[in-house]
Amino acid sequence: MNHDDIKSNVLTTTIERAINWGRKNSLWPMPFGTACCGIEFMAVLAARTDISRFGAEAIRFSPRQSDLLIVAGRISIKMMPVLIRIYEQMPEPKWVISMGACASTGGVFDTYSVIQGIDNFIPVDVYIPGCPPRPEGVVESLMKLQNLVDKEKLSDYALSSSK
Amino acid sequence: MSLEKTLSQIKGSFSDYVLGLTEYAGEQIIHIKGQGVIDVLKTFKDAGFNFLADLTAIDNLTLGGFERFAVVYHLLSHGSAERVTIKAYVPEDNPVLPSIESLWKTADWQEREVFDLFGIEFEGHPNLTRIMNPDDYEGHPLRKDYPRLGRKERYDFPVIDRGIQKQKRTE
Repeated sequence: MNHDDIKSNVLTTTIERAINWGRKNSLWPMPFGTACCGIEFMAVLAARTDISRFGAEAIRFSPRQSDLLIVAGRISIKMMPVLIRIYEQMPEPKWVISMGACASTGGVFDTYSVIQGIDNFIPVDVYIPGCPPRPEGVVESLMKLQNLVDKEKLSDYALSSSK
Repeated sequence: MSLEKTLSQIKGSFSDYVLGLTEYAGEQIIHIKGQGVIDVLKTFKDAGFNFLADLTAIDNLTLGGFERFAVVYHLLSHGSAERVTIKAYVPEDNPVLPSIESLWKTADWQEREVFDLFGIEFEGHPNLTRIMNPDDYEGHPLRKDYPRLGRKERYDFPVIDRGIQKQKRTE
């Protein structure tokens, strides 16, 4: 093997960048659609704003096979234990998108039975405003999340697993 | 049998139960005491009012009325296309009245809903448990004295942290 073959066939990078590249380009979403945002999310999957361009078209309805939880819709006090359970069933690494006003803040439903923002109880990475958000908003949030995933450090995982 | 005949028959034979008779938007409303609900509704059913269109309740806390709670039955006759509304009043300190599940099976879930949201109990109901709220829920949210923002139920959950991903994500 001469020097030119090595130059054109070998790519040098770090493990961290390679892993982050793989993770950010194969986010498998688990939709948790409880209201109209869930309907709007279906439009995101369709041809016009096709999220398979971002490697995120593999919608998994099992939390054990997914990386990305998309909470779309208002969460009532009866649904919150279910959401917590689904979040905990997802394997690490995992990320959460809070889609729409209701999931992020409770929206107009300021009543006894509606959770005022899921980030009171589970960690959220990206929030999408809107009631419901346009599909372009969801695509934007997915790109934002890809940037976040790209900046993650393997040392953070290593540190905490020794704990 | 027509609605007028049935009403006069009920007024005659169940005068102890009947509190009054009003009309709204061309439809008759008969106000009765809670314990008479089986007798009155059985009479209506025998007279051709075969369909229980709705079963709900009203909290008269600020409205005024014969009693604090009124359980409302909407009946429809498929034969004569007539409708009638029955309001059965139950007091605040003992909100109990007989279940009409034996007359219409559809009353099963509707009575559970009224029990869940108003705390009105139905004697003889086969399975009087909450239908909407969680089983361990306390209180009856559609009562007018229930606070709109609740009693902190919506904050009563464990807080889940990031698990092994503890780092900040502020960049």
